Amino acid sequence: MFRRKPLHLQLIGAAALLTALSFFMFPVIWMFLTSFKTQDQIFSVPPVLIPPAEQWNLDNYIAILTQNNGLQGVRDTALVASVTAFISVSIGALAAYSLARFRFGGDEFSFWIISTRMFPPVASAVPLFLLFRQLGILDTHWVLIIANSVFNVPFAVWLLKGFIEDLPVELEEAALIEGATFFGAFRRITLPLIAPGLVTAFLFTFVFTWNEFMFALLMTRRAVRPMTVVISSLAGGHTILWAQIAAAGMITILPGVLVVVFLHRYLVRGLTMGALKS
Amino acid sequence: MFRPRILFLLVAAFAVLASSALAQEPPSHLGVVDYQLCDNFGGVTVTVVGDAGHNLAPYEFWKDDFAAMGINVEIVEVPFADVYQVLKTEFVAGSGAFDVVTFYPSYIGDFAGNGYLLPLDDFIARDPAAVWDPNMEDVLAPFRELYNRWANQTYALTIDGDVLVMMYRQDLFENEEERAAFQARYGRELRPPETWDEWLEVAEFFTRPAGATLAGETLTRPFYGTAEFGRRGFSYAWYLNRAASNGVILFDELMETDINSPAAVAALQNMIDTLQFAPPDVLNFGYDELRDAFIGGQLAMVVQWTDVPKKAADPSISQIVGKVGVGRVPGFVVDGEVAHRSMMPVGRVVGIAADTDVPEAAYCVAKHIAYNTSLENVSTSLTGLDPYRATHLTNPEAFAPLMGLENARAYLEGLQAALADGYPDLFIPGAAQYQDALDLQINRALAGEVSAQEALDAAAAAWNEITDRLGRETQISFWRQALESYRAVGLIR
Amino acid sequence: MFSSGVKQRQAAFFFALPALVLLLSVSIYPLLRTLGLAFSSLELTISPVETFVGLNNFAKAFGDMRFWNALRNTLILVTVGVAIQFVLGTVLAVLLSEIRFTRMIWLIALLLPVMIAPVVSGFQFRVIYNDTFGPLNYLIRALSGGAVAAPPWLADTRTALLTIMITDVWQWTPFMMLLMLAGLESIPVELTEAAQVDGAGYWDIFWRIKMPMLLPVIVIGLLIRVMDTFKTFDLVFLLTGGGPGSSTETIAYYTYLNGFRFFSMGYTAAIAFIQLIIIIVIARFFMIAQKRVRGGSA
Repeated sequence: MFRRKPLHLQLIGAAALLTALSFFMFPVIWMFLTSFKTQDQIFSVPPVLIPPAEQWNLDNYIAILTQNNGLQGVRDTALVASVTAFISVSIGALAAYSLARFRFGGDEFSFWIISTRMFPPVASAVPLFLLFRQLGILDTHWVLIIANSVFNVPFAVWLLKGFIEDLPVELEEAALIEGATFFGAFRRITLPLIAPGLVTAFLFTFVFTWNEFMFALLMTRRAVRPMTVVISSLAGGHTILWAQIAAAGMITILPGVLVVVFLHRYLVRGLTMGALKS
Repeated sequence: MFRPRILFLLVAAFAVLASSALAQEPPSHLGVVDYQLCDNFGGVTVTVVGDAGHNLAPYEFWKDDFAAMGINVEIVEVPFADVYQVLKTEFVAGSGAFDVVTFYPSYIGDFAGNGYLLPLDDFIARDPAAVWDPNMEDVLAPFRELYNRWANQTYALTIDGDVLVMMYRQDLFENEEERAAFQARYGRELRPPETWDEWLEVAEFFTRPAGATLAGETLTRPFYGTAEFGRRGFSYAWYLNRAASNGVILFDELMETDINSPAAVAALQNMIDTLQFAPPDVLNFGYDELRDAFIGGQLAMVVQWTDVPKKAADPSISQIVGKVGVGRVPGFVVDGEVAHRSMMPVGRVVGIAADTDVPEAAYCVAKHIAYNTSLENVSTSLTGLDPYRATHLTNPEAFAPLMGLENARAYLEGLQAALADGYPDLFIPGAAQYQDALDLQINRALAGEVSAQEALDAAAAAWNEITDRLGRETQISFWRQALESYRAVGLIR
Repeated sequence: MFSSGVKQRQAAFFFALPALVLLLSVSIYPLLRTLGLAFSSLELTISPVETFVGLNNFAKAFGDMRFWNALRNTLILVTVGVAIQFVLGTVLAVLLSEIRFTRMIWLIALLLPVMIAPVVSGFQFRVIYNDTFGPLNYLIRALSGGAVAAPPWLADTRTALLTIMITDVWQWTPFMMLLMLAGLESIPVELTEAAQVDGAGYWDIFWRIKMPMLLPVIVIGLLIRVMDTFKTFDLVFLLTGGGPGSSTETIAYYTYLNGFRFFSMGYTAAIAFIQLIIIIVIARFFMIAQKRVRGGSA
């Protein structure tokens, strides 16, 4: 680790971080404050920045969860997002290993994988709807897990491929000489070393799925109600329930925050030559 | 990994707290309408789809009635902005997922024309009438003729009667100082505008910077004469208020458009000129911004949907309680007379999916909401549904608990006047494309990207392209049907 | 990379198999179906009958001013917007990589925007940017004592696209930041220490050691952002509806209108394929650039 960073750079760095913090946090803080407001405080002049003390209660949170399907939305989306993230990272890591270490199918194959994410989803939505209807899986968790995995596996593959390519292949070769299988070498050597990549891939596939709207809207009806659809439903023709939308927003960032809390230590573990030599 | 259990404990705690929070009374039967429930179906399930939120509340109000008919109603909620794409996708796939569908009448040509909906005339004519007849004659003509029928058959029942009305600050128009100042400046009496030219003058008169005086009080922030629906989406409807009153009827018998005629251009120019008397970010004003600018006391007058007077009367959100007048949307002078036209955008109707397994039960559900209980449904604050039947207009007592009898009378009178001027949204197949193409060009002109003439020329070209692409011959036949309906309600001669 | 052989080829196949099965089974049918549609006319508002029209849809796109305007708006977001996200994300990642003890707090704070569904943030920004009711212009006026003219943000053709871009930068810079941070954390510490021993300065180490090691992550980060920015839809749908005028109509929004408002399936398919081709060209460019820099070997 360096300690010789010039002082002026450190000062500029601190200032930059604080500026960034206010830019990125301002809308979040606004959302937090909004989640405690009443309907007439949303569009008022001058704007109500901080709601009065007696409004600091959970009414809007309770309303979204109990009256407006929020509970089902959180449950369904949490299930879909965590399974999708798990599948995407697992399948993605395996495929990434194949591409990075064996150059399976060459450049064209790896390019094809990423290209499946390029196609505008609007164009493929109706054919996909017909396909899933034939399979009889509309309005289930599986339909969303499959649809989201298709968009997230390419991301996971490419991200993890980059991480694996940066690893020296000699470590795995040493394991193979000692009698490990390819899968054994992958699991015991490669996976631990690309932990930051795995965590990043998991976090983003989770977040991408959690935030996905179009498939969630089209492919579900009643048995499954993902959170993004629940939230959109709060914007009616006559009334937009601003405070409840904000409360829902506060609720939906919780899982992402928890992922960071539990997994962040994998993001600060840099490689050491010691690890490479073992 | 995160721990769902913690989340669920938290959520369970919320649920306990919430059960004590709610206490608004759903409406009970008023007994104004005579009807009989359908015979018991013995436990069938009817799936109803509609835009999420309070407009689906009636199915909850009357669940005992549905139970008495042996019907289990299941609701599928779709976000307001996405109803068409969801319904259309399900219809195209022939999924049979829905029995009763709630949709915006602009799509009746699309849905009925493509055979997605069941004609309702056979049900309507059945005996006994008390069970089956939804009393279509009671439905106000514009809704009945324009929004429920297609190809001489009934395909839908109205449940929500949207129309635009003019609202103005009665207190300002009655203020003596302001009246005198207006008289001095324009040489005529201050009154709610009858014509779009007067609208422009009045808007100019009331637009004042912070620090100026309005009705004897010093303004702490700017005050504006008016605002428009300036955001993409419905800006075309605020334009068509003007264009329709200036004699523009969109297409002739051969689908040749007059949307870029001199009358149409003058109408658009009026709307463009209005923007200088509107808040600086009016081009991003949607329904909510437009409503709240008015009920927040920032505008002298506005054209809006008919639920806004109800909101303006609610002291918890309105700063202009008791100061609101409702009147006819202004018009242009045509042949020496002011022709008023009020657009009827959005609105809601219910139809029966053609591939339903339970057509009779589905019809009984739709009729119960659209007729038997309709007065109850439009007169409660628990829904956003607006009146659409003569029965609604002649029963102000039903609205009295909501706004008081006097206000209810005035409100229904204003509504009746607006509906008499009602002008329909396009409802032939491809309506969404025509609307979008027009809306884009109107918005470009409002934003100053192009002139009024250029914008409307471009809109006309886009309309012709759409007509050719969808098939000019079929579109002509559809439009001729539409014109017949226009004649039936007296919109054209 | 391992040497090749039968065993290696078998292993390669089995490692790739799950991804292959998933992607093939779900994406082939829609792709082929859409390809067929691109050469057909299918106007679902009028009838379910599909007729072959050759290249008509592509010819229409070529002469469609709305299409070109939407493409132009999108390319502005893709080039300028993503570039800002990349630079800002890299700077933040470098700053964060030097923080150890409070990093979790910083990470959470800076990652929040990416965790908020666009559906939610769209509604927040609608209020935030509002000139009459919003906090942003209120604060600008209050803090500057009225000296700074607060812009109308979404309500003016000159600022609306920029405002969409700022919002997108807000939402997605954290994504680039975390990717770059994970990349930085994967660089063996000894490499930089060895360089320090050799007397390399801060910037030397950054440009000569770290950036080359980060290249694969940079490429995938940019590629994903370019691809996803091409799909910019939610913000436009919620904030402007494409307006004022046509100033914020993006290609994804225009495709959405054709697909889900007009149900003009042939034209939708055609413009979808044009987008696919454009993205493939951009992606190829990234690949070639990466190879050049890395000298063709992983």
